[in-house]
Amino acid sequence: MNRSTVWITGVGAVSAAGVDVASTLKGFAQGLRHPRTTLPFASNIQCPTFQAPADLPCPAPWDHPSRTFQLAGLAVREALADAGLTGFAQGVRVGVCLGTTVASQLNSLPFYAAYRRMGEPDLQPVYDFLSVNLSQAVAERLNLHGPRMTVVNACSSGTDALGIAASWIRAGLCECAIAGGADELNQVPLAGFWSLGVMSTQPCAPFDGNRCGLNLGEGAGVVILESARYAQVRGKRPTIELAGFGAASDAHHLTAPHPQGRGLRSAIQVALTQANIMPSQVGFVNAHGTATMDNDRVEGTVLASIFGDRLPFLSTKGYTGHTLGAAGGLEAVFTILGLREQWIPASAGFSTPASDIPIAPVRQTTPVHGECALSTSLAFGGNNAAVLFRRWA
Amino acid sequence: MNLASEDTPPPVSVLGFGAVTALGRDLPSLAALLGKPPTTPLDSPLRIKDELLGDARGGRALRRAGRFSRMAVLAAMDAWNAAGATHQDVAMDRVGVIVATGLGPHERTFKFLDGILECGDNSASPTDFSHSVHNAAAAYITETLGWRGRSCTMTDFAVGFEQAVLLAQVWLAEGACDRVVVGAVEELGTVLLHLLPRMLAGVSISPAVVPGEGACFLAVGPCSLAGLAHLSATARPDPTDLLVMDEPALPSHESQEASPPIRTRQAVTFSPYFGHMATSSTFQTLGSLLCLCTGQVLGKQVCSPHGVRWVETRDPTASVDSVRIYKRSSLSEPLSLLLTRPGM
Repeated sequence: MNRSTVWITGVGAVSAAGVDVASTLKGFAQGLRHPRTTLPFASNIQCPTFQAPADLPCPAPWDHPSRTFQLAGLAVREALADAGLTGFAQGVRVGVCLGTTVASQLNSLPFYAAYRRMGEPDLQPVYDFLSVNLSQAVAERLNLHGPRMTVVNACSSGTDALGIAASWIRAGLCECAIAGGADELNQVPLAGFWSLGVMSTQPCAPFDGNRCGLNLGEGAGVVILESARYAQVRGKRPTIELAGFGAASDAHHLTAPHPQGRGLRSAIQVALTQANIMPSQVGFVNAHGTATMDNDRVEGTVLASIFGDRLPFLSTKGYTGHTLGAAGGLEAVFTILGLREQWIPASAGFSTPASDIPIAPVRQTTPVHGECALSTSLAFGGNNAAVLFRRWA
Repeated sequence: MNLASEDTPPPVSVLGFGAVTALGRDLPSLAALLGKPPTTPLDSPLRIKDELLGDARGGRALRRAGRFSRMAVLAAMDAWNAAGATHQDVAMDRVGVIVATGLGPHERTFKFLDGILECGDNSASPTDFSHSVHNAAAAYITETLGWRGRSCTMTDFAVGFEQAVLLAQVWLAEGACDRVVVGAVEELGTVLLHLLPRMLAGVSISPAVVPGEGACFLAVGPCSLAGLAHLSATARPDPTDLLVMDEPALPSHESQEASPPIRTRQAVTFSPYFGHMATSSTFQTLGSLLCLCTGQVLGKQVCSPHGVRWVETRDPTASVDSVRIYKRSSLSEPLSLLLTRPGM
């Protein structure tokens, strides 16, 4: 550990798996998952989704019409409280790096339908959209001064956001950073993933031999990162470090992963190298594991080739659904919790080994051996990202 | 203990740049046009001509790409090719790309919404959906040019390009990449064009704003490499020979005195040539680079901008070795771009 160490000092999460970290852990321990068959909007699509509670408690400054922002606010609030941060002293630079997909798009169907109908729709949805660039809005609400970035790398956005925030701290651009991702369940990506033919009409089964696609979900996962110097000044003795991050492009296809997982392999290897650890030191992997045929085959094959066939791994999307821009943030939080609590839950939805995947995820609550854990993300656009956490005794 | 961070990553060296603009794509022709007064009437949006977006080098890979991705690919390709000799030995997995945008490929998003409204949400077009995501342009860039390093697309309505440059500095400084192609892309779709006058009035931005679209990318490397200029994103208020700024697009509540005041010899803007957009600092940077490359002060003179303190002389014949590209942010801390001639 040295000046460049980036500590994790707080986590916050809200999803269908739980409205906070404590309830999420409780659900994980019981192996519970709560797919819903009804949608919060009218739709011709019949499929399970994973939804956070409809009425989110969003006191000021987190009140805003955007559900994505509400979800982000809940997770930020919990993460700051977990870190013991009630405010920042004058002059402390705090970065904000959050990933999203839904909040970045002007995709209000009622607004656009009104535009098509009469040409001059009420512009309030536009103003709402312009007022909630995720990282900008969080920085303004908390009066933070430091770098900020809203990452829109599709489904790897949250993981990329953590890597960028860690780089900011190592570069000395800020002492602390709020990083992660948030996304709401929205009709537009629902229609999009349905059109691509990658959604399941059953609760998803990541890495299973009978998997037949993903379920969408919603949520937010946020991590507080701190420099060693700032944590020390605050009197904190954190135990989890963001030890490595890697990202790489497939340069292959807009929506399909590289068949041999070229970018994912590179991202994982860069993360391991940056952390200066061997694959054998990795106690478990929280995989992207969407339950689509392509993703799980490619990801399972790459993980087996790097870590061997005895690697404990799981996908938490069986509990949360695919939360898109939030996925990397949520799964980072779950990975940190696995290291902190020293156990990981069963990979929900898995029952039958797949002939096209050389390894199988854990089927039950499993103790964690090893001081490191990895979380991976793959995305539209050929983005791949891997973030490695290390637990110090 | 003072916890205010003092470290900033070193500047990057600009090795080449490329752009797709309403004035064209050829840089010498652009420089010539920027040396003349702008001719676009205030009510005429600056859109890219379709014929500018066809390029055989994009080939089959671009056949489904929309205007947003095409503009980005062509500008990134031009930037890379312009710097060709400087990165012949760079491995493709060491080339990163950063794309900044404000509104992203919104025209394709609306097309996808058309499909939902006309055919139902279970019968919309998968091609429109996959091309409506913000990182579609970066995906086309990496696939077309074979770059396999880091890729980041980010969105911001105020200082997106500034933050993108800062990230490029960080990536190069920490050794994550050997080269980064960093830039921005914005498209101006028909829906946006129709609604823009009402939208701008609603957020107190001058109706005289000329909306624009286009893409501009810079190929950058570590500052140890010889290049056209050094570039950094900074909050430091060092005086510069030339100030380049957005004008007159500032919302009225942000048209206050800058603090601390910016010091410069003269000020220009390139907004009337390229149009206003969320990431317009990219195009101000394009104009600034052309100033450094040609040794001339290009663009439209800005006589008395708010918050500017004139220093030394306002002699227009004096050489320009440093340029500050300034865009007021909604945050209290100004983040601007600093371009300097190497060796200065």
